Amino acid sequence: MSDLSGRNEDFSPVKILVIAIVALMLFLWYGSFLLYLQIVKGGEYQVRAVTIASKIEKLPSQRGEIYDRNYNLPLVLNVDTFAVSLVPAELPADLRDTVFSKLAALTDIPVAEIHRKVPPAFYRLFQSIEIVSSVDQSVITAIAERIDEFPGVSWYARPMRNYLEGGSFSHLIGYVGEISRDELKLFYNRGYQSGDIIGKSGVERVYDSSLRGIDGRQFKTVDVKGRRIEGGVRDVVPPVMGKNVSLTIDRNTQLLAEKALGERIGSIVVLKPSTGEILAMVSYPSYNSNSIIAKGGNNEYARLLNDPRNPLINRAIQSSYPPASTFKVIMTAGIIEENAFPLDATVLCTGEINYGDRVFRCWIRKPGHGKLDLAGALAQSCDVYFWEVGRDKLGIERIVDYSKQFGFGELSGVDLLGEVAGFVPTPQWKERRFHEKWLGGDTLNLSIGQGYMLTTPLQVANMVALVVNEGVIYRPHILKDIRDPVSGTILTKTTPELLSASRISKDTFKLTKEYMRGVMTTGTARYPVNTKVVQVAGKTGTAEVGLDDRWHSWFVGYGPYDAASADDMIVVVAMIEASNPWEWWAPYATNIVFQGYFAGQSYEEAAGTLGLLNRPRAAVGRVE
Amino acid sequence: MLSVRSLVKSIDWIIVSAIVVLMVIGILFIYSSGVNSEGILINNEYVKQIIWAVSGLLLMLGLTAVEPKRLPDYTALLYGAMMVILVYTRLFGKVVNGARSWLGLFGDLGIQPSEFMKIAAILFLARYLDSTKHEPASFRRFTVSFGIMLLPMVLILSQPDFGTALVYFPLYLGVAFIGGITLRYLAFLLLTGSIAIVMTVMPLWQNLVATEPSIVLRIFYEEPYVFFVIALAGFAFALSVLGYRFFKKRYYYWLSFLALSIILGLSASIAGHMVLKDYQIMRLVVFLDPSVDPLGSGWNIVQSITAIGSGGFAGKGFLQGTQSHYRYLPQQSTDFIFSIISEELGFIGGIIIFTLFLVIALRLLLSLRTLNSAFQRNLIAGVVSMLLFHFMINAGMAMGIMPITGIPLLFLSYGGSSLWAICMGIGLCLGIGARRYDL
Repeated sequence: MSDLSGRNEDFSPVKILVIAIVALMLFLWYGSFLLYLQIVKGGEYQVRAVTIASKIEKLPSQRGEIYDRNYNLPLVLNVDTFAVSLVPAELPADLRDTVFSKLAALTDIPVAEIHRKVPPAFYRLFQSIEIVSSVDQSVITAIAERIDEFPGVSWYARPMRNYLEGGSFSHLIGYVGEISRDELKLFYNRGYQSGDIIGKSGVERVYDSSLRGIDGRQFKTVDVKGRRIEGGVRDVVPPVMGKNVSLTIDRNTQLLAEKALGERIGSIVVLKPSTGEILAMVSYPSYNSNSIIAKGGNNEYARLLNDPRNPLINRAIQSSYPPASTFKVIMTAGIIEENAFPLDATVLCTGEINYGDRVFRCWIRKPGHGKLDLAGALAQSCDVYFWEVGRDKLGIERIVDYSKQFGFGELSGVDLLGEVAGFVPTPQWKERRFHEKWLGGDTLNLSIGQGYMLTTPLQVANMVALVVNEGVIYRPHILKDIRDPVSGTILTKTTPELLSASRISKDTFKLTKEYMRGVMTTGTARYPVNTKVVQVAGKTGTAEVGLDDRWHSWFVGYGPYDAASADDMIVVVAMIEASNPWEWWAPYATNIVFQGYFAGQSYEEAAGTLGLLNRPRAAVGRVE
Repeated sequence: MLSVRSLVKSIDWIIVSAIVVLMVIGILFIYSSGVNSEGILINNEYVKQIIWAVSGLLLMLGLTAVEPKRLPDYTALLYGAMMVILVYTRLFGKVVNGARSWLGLFGDLGIQPSEFMKIAAILFLARYLDSTKHEPASFRRFTVSFGIMLLPMVLILSQPDFGTALVYFPLYLGVAFIGGITLRYLAFLLLTGSIAIVMTVMPLWQNLVATEPSIVLRIFYEEPYVFFVIALAGFAFALSVLGYRFFKKRYYYWLSFLALSIILGLSASIAGHMVLKDYQIMRLVVFLDPSVDPLGSGWNIVQSITAIGSGGFAGKGFLQGTQSHYRYLPQQSTDFIFSIISEELGFIGGIIIFTLFLVIALRLLLSLRTLNSAFQRNLIAGVVSMLLFHFMINAGMAMGIMPITGIPLLFLSYGGSSLWAICMGIGLCLGIGARRYDL
């Protein structure tokens, strides 16, 4: 690399001089500034360091309220409680243990908890640390009366959340809590500080940035011991209130669906297909947000985590199941669109077919449904028809393609956390996963929505939304708009957003709708879905889970069938898990929701009209 | 090849001694920052720092044995490997202080690849400028060389670690200046960068700090006016390019130069507003008026200045600082190590530290004079820029005259990655210096 010939051909030593001068000037500047700080103004800073400190107190902001779509009664309110905090450095070492135990006794928390919040590493800290976040006025009064016994202790008002609607609202609204160390690391750049209240789940979490306000502060001049110096500067920066949030949820519909589901493990979703607005989303069992944020809420949370029924799971979006016979809607649309099998051609159902070395039995067993065309097969939910046509005419590739067009296997993008995507199996996947070939038997299973396929109840609602909208699905959402907390004017509004569009023709959808109506008029749901106030079209489903006397029960439907445009229609999906005693409840629950929604009735009125109130749990046989 | 004996003889031991003194001061005050107001030691960062410092020193001396003539052959490989590690860190690294910047090795141990990337980038850039020195004024040479620095810079910015990314800019200026990039281009870069940074912080400065916000300035950052300004500058640029093409007048050249600088600077500031959150920009302006953020960064600055100021001429004595041991001086062992040193050792201590840094920087610069290899000159220029910039930002931040960016004071701040990286850089420079007469 050394070149002996043209030494320093393009390099002039002046450049070294330039950098050296820059460096020297920097050191002169910094040196003289240090001189200014430490010698010229040193005395001033020495006084400031030992005598007077400027103290800042936090003025907590109020978190926004959450409303349903009508924006009249809040679902969540703020109540005033107090937080007690401590400036550790102001607490003399010899008094530390007494003060800690007195505080623990007054605020009713273990001393170990205080020691955990104020570890020895913090003893020199002059920043205040929150000890308890929700105590009553009476505790504050007790401390204030003997404040000289509590050096370093102070308090401030801290609004707490009060969730007015428990039950099924909890999964949607979620709850708040103090920011955790991990969350702080992640959100450090978004302006969160330790001790902040942050949404932990549901809307509280997803829309935390809108709901949270900006804390205000108050400056006081105090001496070293923390006593206020009269006449010192007192500036106040007022807190900014958080924004209000209005959900697409309709309170009455949500309550109706909650009671229609009752104490059965499962979920119900009511969706407005023309916009993607979720009118109700119920999952049982649920929990009470208030008991999680209350004092000792950690124990309640641990109990919920250990509950084998998983009450923290929102089953409408966080659980996926085999769609069972509801999948025949997709099969029907596929058969029509592809002209895979003449619509009036029939298949003879004898109750079972032999394939490979296995016998596949239609749900009705022998002697079977007899001869059925497509309309009849969908209405009677005949497995044999869909097995034969699915395997021999439509084929696995097209079944997979249609499933994907209906949104299966993809996240719906709903604005709640933890949604699962479900699963659409493919021959390639099976080969990769199990090193086994995709067999005809796998296609048979898939044709009736069994086997490896998994969908969430929300995806099943979207499936029908695609039919109702004749080719498009709008992203399901729960946020209607964000409003100014004082005036209530709308600041931002969720507009319908296209999630996916299919290539299927409108005529196919029209025929599919007609056939889905047939399920109600002549088919399997003829008796359970018998509401008179609205014409319903839909599909039942009963999923095998390996038990002899119980199955997952599905029903998905929309109405009014005869409405001129999709704007007036709603889609209702009910999913009752097999862990409940078998009563084929999904169609009945849906029936109650349709009756109540369109007649403007409460659960009791609707169930009464339909004769379902206090209905004994009937031991019905298996119906698909 | 130098024998070990003559290598030991020709190493610049003054630089090594200055570094050892700085490291010892660093360890002492990391120890001090771990002591609380009752004189009890509450963490053992100083033990870890002793390990880092000793291993760093060995690494530095070990690297002096590297034959500088061989070095250029490995720079591309090193740069590529570090880029891979940096991408991996960006995707799978650990989040620390809001930035995905750490690569956990095992247990608590981890490294910050962005620190080591500085050395790899300097080496590769030095090599590139050496191999293209026959076309000093080419525009391609300028863009490629800047791209070498821009690539890691953008990756680190996306972590997002604004402070560390910022260091790459002066690194480039230093190496490119010595490496013979046409000054015109460097001036263009400096102007564009200044416009970008000033206009990024301008909205917050206007809202929070300025006593009389200027309405005119708002057209440079408020939408849609800023787009009009950019369009106008674009028009001016097109006109002056045409003008230069047809009339060959010098002032058309400078006019297009200015217009392009405005376009790029403003566009970068718009991107800055989209990428950076208000709180991040806030940390850049808060030093101008700490009272705008008295609970967060502003508080830190006030505490730091008070600690330094109250140190006086001779300081309060080792372990006697009140601000550091009583008051909550934040990140005493890393970002604000200079504050605790100045509080306890006073003006004398501060000046000693300044002088030690100046001695290292000047002696490295002086060794440049006698070097024939452009690669070696460029490398040393890069290491000196790194040293000076870290010093300028960190010490300036502690004194409240530079923005808070969270970059460490080399040799003094607690932390292994930055220490090891600068030790590696200096080690290579010492090796070059020791062989300067060895043709």
